[in-house]
Amino acid sequence: MRTTVRAVPIVEAIHVMAIAVVFGTILVVDLRLLGVRDTKRPYTQVSRELLVWTWAAFVVAAVTGAMMFAANAMTYYQNTPFRLKLLAIAAAGLNMLVFHFVTGRNVDEWDTERTAPAGGRVAGALSILIWTTVIVLGRWIGFTKGYDFSIPEEVDLDALGSGIDVLLDFGDALPSGAPPSDAAP
Amino acid sequence: MIEFAEWLQATPFSEAIQAAGWLVPLLQSIHILMIGVVFVSILTIALRVLELVRMDQGFADVWRRFAPWMWTGIVVMTLTGALLVAAEPVREFTSTSFWIKMLLLAVGIASAIVFRRSLAPMVLAGDTAHEFSPGIKIGAIATVVLWLAIIFLGRAIAYDVEIWGVLSLSS
Repeated sequence: MRTTVRAVPIVEAIHVMAIAVVFGTILVVDLRLLGVRDTKRPYTQVSRELLVWTWAAFVVAAVTGAMMFAANAMTYYQNTPFRLKLLAIAAAGLNMLVFHFVTGRNVDEWDTERTAPAGGRVAGALSILIWTTVIVLGRWIGFTKGYDFSIPEEVDLDALGSGIDVLLDFGDALPSGAPPSDAAP
Repeated sequence: MIEFAEWLQATPFSEAIQAAGWLVPLLQSIHILMIGVVFVSILTIALRVLELVRMDQGFADVWRRFAPWMWTGIVVMTLTGALLVAAEPVREFTSTSFWIKMLLLAVGIASAIVFRRSLAPMVLAGDTAHEFSPGIKIGAIATVVLWLAIIFLGRAIAYDVEIWGVLSLSS
């Protein structure tokens, strides 16, 4: 994938779109748990309708994420924000499981209530917090994983800027006109 | 334009953003979080126009639930986006993707305003039986595609030469 220059931005763009759907739909469900929005609709109605989208988008994000990892496995593997991001996703999964099997088991009792009981509200707030962290850490990877040195052969480094700047700098901090930086949504 | 970009990049304001190494990734993170809020809001409104979701609610309820989040998200995205441009104006202004993104963004915002103005008072009053015309339904699909293109172009700014080749303003 590294050598197929156009594949990288396309895969990354799909990753961003998938993240947008994951975060946006989970936020709606979390805000329902917290009693902020959609309070007139039963919780299960809001969640059943949206979590299908969340899961589908999560699969897309995971597949595109795995492709990005495969293209640069060692740099990602050694990158601290990347490791923290995986931990944060695991934490989000744990939060979901605790809600699903413990604190949210009695959903029938409060389904039409304006707000979920304390356990549900904690799960909702934690979910917003954790997924925000996942996105921040994901963006942080681009600024810390360093530049991918396997520059495609057809890119003429000399024509793009002073070589020493390129070697000393990291992806996102590259001066304009430098080789592709891995920055910015 | 490039002179303006170089001037802006050399201003103390731009240099301050660049110097704080954590600020650009933080702004980008907020930008992405808002993409999630705005895109899902637009998607939900569009799917409701197409009568695919939230049919237990009137269109007015769905609009009132999501429109404020959409507008707020767009404002926050514009602000964080403007600061990101101020931090790296040369990179943005020499990117073909950036200019096409700005054009599509203008179309997206203008069409949202036009759509809002076209909503009859009876629709906003909660006429649950209201059905949109085929033209509006096609517009709803086009809007979702438009915003996907805006997201793609945003990510593509970092890869202008790879995407556009000789059409890249930075080549």
